[in-house]
Amino acid sequence: MSSDLQGKLGLSRRQVLIGAAGLGATSLIGAPALAQSSGGPLKIGVLLPRSGILAQAGQSCARAEAIGASVLKGLGYSVEIIAADTESNTDTARARAEKLINDGAHLIVGAFDSGQTGAAAQVCEQRGIPLVVNIAAAPQLTEQGYKTLFRNFPTSIDLVKNAFPLMKDVFATAGKTPTKALFLHANDTFGMANKAAWDKLFPDAAMPFSMLEPISYDPKAQDLSVEVAKAKASGAELVIVTTRAADAILIVREMVKQRFEPQAIMSPGSPGLYDEQFYKVLGKYSDYATTILPWYDPKGSLSQQVQAEFGKLFPRDKFEGHAFNIGCTLDALLVAADAHKRAGSTAAPALLDALRATKLDTHMMIGPAITFDAKGQNVNFSSAVVQNLDQRPTVVLPKGSAEKAPVFPVPGWQARG
Amino acid sequence: MALNDLFAGVTPRGKIAFTAGLGALLLLPEAANSYWISIFTLIFWFAYVGQAWNVMMGFAGQLSLGHALYVGLGGYGAAALYLHLGLGPWIGMLVTVPICAIVGMIIGWLGFRFGVRGVHFALLTIACAEFTRVAFDHITSVGGSGGLFLPVVSGGNNLWALRGAPELYYYTMLVLALGALALCRIVTRTRLGYFWLALRENPDAAAALGIPLLRVKLLAVGLSAGMTAIGGVFYAFYYNNLFPDQIFSMGRSIEILLGPIIGGIGTVFGPILGAMLLTPIGEATNLLLEALGVALPGTKQVIYGLALVLIILLRPAGIWPWLAVKAGLVVPPGDEEAPQ
Repeated sequence: MSSDLQGKLGLSRRQVLIGAAGLGATSLIGAPALAQSSGGPLKIGVLLPRSGILAQAGQSCARAEAIGASVLKGLGYSVEIIAADTESNTDTARARAEKLINDGAHLIVGAFDSGQTGAAAQVCEQRGIPLVVNIAAAPQLTEQGYKTLFRNFPTSIDLVKNAFPLMKDVFATAGKTPTKALFLHANDTFGMANKAAWDKLFPDAAMPFSMLEPISYDPKAQDLSVEVAKAKASGAELVIVTTRAADAILIVREMVKQRFEPQAIMSPGSPGLYDEQFYKVLGKYSDYATTILPWYDPKGSLSQQVQAEFGKLFPRDKFEGHAFNIGCTLDALLVAADAHKRAGSTAAPALLDALRATKLDTHMMIGPAITFDAKGQNVNFSSAVVQNLDQRPTVVLPKGSAEKAPVFPVPGWQARG
Repeated sequence: MALNDLFAGVTPRGKIAFTAGLGALLLLPEAANSYWISIFTLIFWFAYVGQAWNVMMGFAGQLSLGHALYVGLGGYGAAALYLHLGLGPWIGMLVTVPICAIVGMIIGWLGFRFGVRGVHFALLTIACAEFTRVAFDHITSVGGSGGLFLPVVSGGNNLWALRGAPELYYYTMLVLALGALALCRIVTRTRLGYFWLALRENPDAAAALGIPLLRVKLLAVGLSAGMTAIGGVFYAFYYNNLFPDQIFSMGRSIEILLGPIIGGIGTVFGPILGAMLLTPIGEATNLLLEALGVALPGTKQVIYGLALVLIILLRPAGIWPWLAVKAGLVVPPGDEEAPQ
């Protein structure tokens, strides 16, 4: 404060300092959040990595807030969303969760990454506030013993488990079955977890093919020619991958260059093959790559409503590029709003009781009604087979949601228009 | 060492300020909400690990850019002992702290014995943290890349198991930070502390005086690594989950050394002041942006970065040496023989 202004206000420097200290103390002490009483709209604190290394995914999820505000209102829910940024950092995630609750959030939705979700879960458990997980696959989150955590997302094990029957369905629909498959995967956190889940479940999955020696690689590598050459030499008919966008592009480029033409490239739940960047860089070579993962129901009325809203709010972006993140986050918001409506209260115990009794039929992602088991895990979460057709992620299975039939085996690189 | 010796070189005003500050911190959980309690817990954690890093760089002049290694080893070690053998975190510390001290000394020995100095030694510390991170990605007994999770324990406070309400962690971390402050204050006033000072200022002259440089350097690395490991144990039990990518990350190593750099490298109060400034600057920026209605992700980091650049430009030696004299908290350098 300038001395002029101090003079006009008739304040001494000491008075200004005392005032500032008082302001700080008020913020420090913080009145107990009035919003945590039982009336009014549900205040949902949405905790996401909006900056930092996971910013792209976090901001993509955050689009569900803007869309959700009108969609939820249209469905008769009364919610108010307050946003917070974890900065892709566990420490910040914990502090932000505390802040959201102190700012009056009755319930938290988030936080995309398992580590940050775990940090927020600790806070929510201590404060007795429900946490509805939008995306986070670490199985332990629902095995640690949290009483206030509800996850509407498959664990990394379930992500792979759901892929086996759908793969069989693809082969049955096409009437052709590969005999030898190879796992080509990034050696990062997600890649290793995906591979470990595959190894654990494969022996009991009764798949029609045998597995060859896996090949791992550094996802930051600038050249994957050796790995692809090894994969080609193995004689694999099916290449199962766990990738991110950049390495997925490198792999396909090398496959085209080395004329390695397996019957298909399939991923049990990893990103990369359906990313916007994948289509932009590879063009026609991006087609027919297949991912088996939780996906929005393109035929569902809610999905169509969300897509229309997305078009209005983000006219320059492709809906499919964000649909997975938006779908998971919007469904988490729906779970929260539905619990609030049934509880008729914003009080945490009532919300927790209502969440435990969740049976939500109307949601955006493919699958039956959302329900939670005793550990807070939605065990009914389904996956879909999403194949790139005409450079767009297209649902090809399950049949009820399919937009087109799956293509298997896929056409050779040179046979594509 | 008598209590009075701990305050040698501190003016009466400094003693009053310290006592008043400590009193306020002890009473803070009575008045503050849990958000602020968690922020102060984080401040104490950074003050503590900053102090640990300061032992190596600030007192002995050996630059480490890989201190996340010891946070990770301490955290993973204690968490694994708790999960697999049921040993509490304090027992875990008895095991992990000496191991981390030895690991630090081995790295130090490799560097010092073969003449790896300065930035090259710093690169060695980064490399060690990085390959440990990659190794932990593949050690399945501690969760591998999928992370290690501690079970949630309901019920009241249990200091023995380091389980309980935010206040428990607040006071534990406050005591650890104060303990580190006292330890560093004591050590810097011992023969070893003066050896470190000589080593930091002029290694060749120190060697000429007959100071056993290798042993003195290894003691600094060992103490620093062991102290940091305790911070890691606390981290594991506070956050309840550990991922190699996060706990061993280069970013964490940088976060650890920012506090001492801002506060004042080589001073015992510098890391504390640095932590007291850095975390609140971040939070204050958040509060300000919220008040202004700015919801642009990343704005905080830009403002935070600018604030750091400004501080470093204006006070390259850190804020504490300037503030302490300006506010009359310590006897000005030259008027007192002991290091401050």
